[in-house]
Amino acid sequence: MPHDFTVPVLRNVDLGHGNWLLEFEAVDVASAMEPGQFFMIGVPGSDVLLRRPFSVCGLPGTFDDGPAGAVQILYRVYGRGTRLLASLGAGALLHVLGPLGRGFTPPAGADAKIVVVAGGIGCAAFPAFIARLARSERRVAMVYGARSRDELPLLAWFEKRCDSVEITTDDGSLGTPGLVTAPLREILRGPDRSRLHLYACGPTPMLKAVARQALEAEVVCDLALEAPMACGFGVCLGCVLPTHERPGGPVSYDRVCIEGPVMRAERLAW
Amino acid sequence: MVSPDLSVEVGSVRLKDPVLTASGTFGYGLEFLPFLDLSQLGGIVAKGLSPRPRKGNPPERIVETPAGMLNAIGLQNVGVDSFIEDKLPRLRAYDTAIVANVFGETEAEYVDVCEKLDAAAGVAAIELNVSCPNTEAGGMIFGNDAHALGRVTRACRRATRLPLWVKLSPNVTDIRETARAAEAEGADAVSLVNTFVGMVIDVEKRRPVLANVSGGLSGPAIRPLAVWMTWQVRRAVTIPIIGMGGIMTARDAVEFILAGATAVQVGTANFVNPRAAVDVVEGLGQWLKDRNIASVRELVGTLVAASPVSGHA
Repeated sequence: MPHDFTVPVLRNVDLGHGNWLLEFEAVDVASAMEPGQFFMIGVPGSDVLLRRPFSVCGLPGTFDDGPAGAVQILYRVYGRGTRLLASLGAGALLHVLGPLGRGFTPPAGADAKIVVVAGGIGCAAFPAFIARLARSERRVAMVYGARSRDELPLLAWFEKRCDSVEITTDDGSLGTPGLVTAPLREILRGPDRSRLHLYACGPTPMLKAVARQALEAEVVCDLALEAPMACGFGVCLGCVLPTHERPGGPVSYDRVCIEGPVMRAERLAW
Repeated sequence: MVSPDLSVEVGSVRLKDPVLTASGTFGYGLEFLPFLDLSQLGGIVAKGLSPRPRKGNPPERIVETPAGMLNAIGLQNVGVDSFIEDKLPRLRAYDTAIVANVFGETEAEYVDVCEKLDAAAGVAAIELNVSCPNTEAGGMIFGNDAHALGRVTRACRRATRLPLWVKLSPNVTDIRETARAAEAEGADAVSLVNTFVGMVIDVEKRRPVLANVSGGLSGPAIRPLAVWMTWQVRRAVTIPIIGMGGIMTARDAVEFILAGATAVQVGTANFVNPRAAVDVVEGLGQWLKDRNIASVRELVGTLVAASPVSGHA
């Protein structure tokens, strides 16, 4: 059940290039929260009306220096809401609702080969998940893409915590020039393909491309989705995406905040 | 002093307090159970019901605007049958007035939904949605024209004995005309206002942000417009008014009550703060107590104002 609470910022760390890591105490929700779930976060008294959705990046144990009972979100300054967040120092108050939505489910089979595919700030959903998987000794390979080397936040953390990190950049400033779909194509052709389980989070064009590749290769793929939303708890109906029970079936609209944000790739009727 | 009396009567509907939740911002009420006790509210107005389920408009459906938001949901809803079977029995457990908001694409569809609700137990009133700006057929086609609004009101009046509220569109030249048409055809109350039609453009893409191109504007940005319309309608009809438009706090609710609203609806604020409607109820009690006012009914329509020289003085 979501809690609606007001808490002070513990830390708001500028990671450079417009990326920030915000930390606040969430004792009542941190232990029950699943990786891939999200918060709605607003700033009391500000003239930004609606709270904004942010997936949880760090839960207790994700980051070595995270205080007990604290959680972290990773965000990129993009519009009015995130600009306001970036202006906050320690002690400023946040209006937080969470945990919300359906998070990541680890693969059923113990021998599954887990690959996370992140596009830029879409990596935000993965640290808590990777740390949770590590608790049960499960290892992760990562494909991490962005427009340039400046848009790969927490890269050092991922390199330390994943078996491998394949980097792609649109401008070739780091890793392989191009999109995440190129290394992913190789992975999907590899010897482990029958045991693969993909998890992807990033901009919608990337998610569509990854979903298409996974479906063609008949590989299980979960997407962490994003949409503008007003409430985060299922009533505004603003955050819907077109979905179907099976490809070609009748299309309806599922809420990213309730039926998602994590959905199976084949569910999306893009 | 003792706690102020918050109860009001909207025609024959007695409300324990004058605060309801606006249709389309409160789901079917049950979604808010983690946050508040529905029995604290004067009433809840459920999401607009059509004869059959509607899947609504494609995304993008919402965008924030200065002090407000623009939406084009397209009346996605479970349909009246599912509401009566699945939602209503659970809502009846709470001590609050359940108001069903009714939407149709044709007059016959409005009548059909009204008849079904009339036969169901537990509905306190019907609110006709003749003012949705986000659907191709129905809705605002009826709400934009006093004659068409009168016709659909008359047809629904015949279809139900339940108290009938007509929710007015602000997207008209003179809202007093549609208010008078509703009154003349037997409406028990008018609720106003629904959202204002608006548009936001992504200048980089040179496209409207919403897939529906236009949407309905709500939130604090529209409050002065809605208060003004409440004041206009108060002087044009004698049936009760339920006022709404950007109410975030008890103080905002008092504005509508002074302008002539017997009750108010809280809308967009429910998205920002799921306890907003209860906060307005509690704040209203405190506001009256601080001023030694025994009953909220003493406030209704007591605005101290000279008659304006012109319509926009």
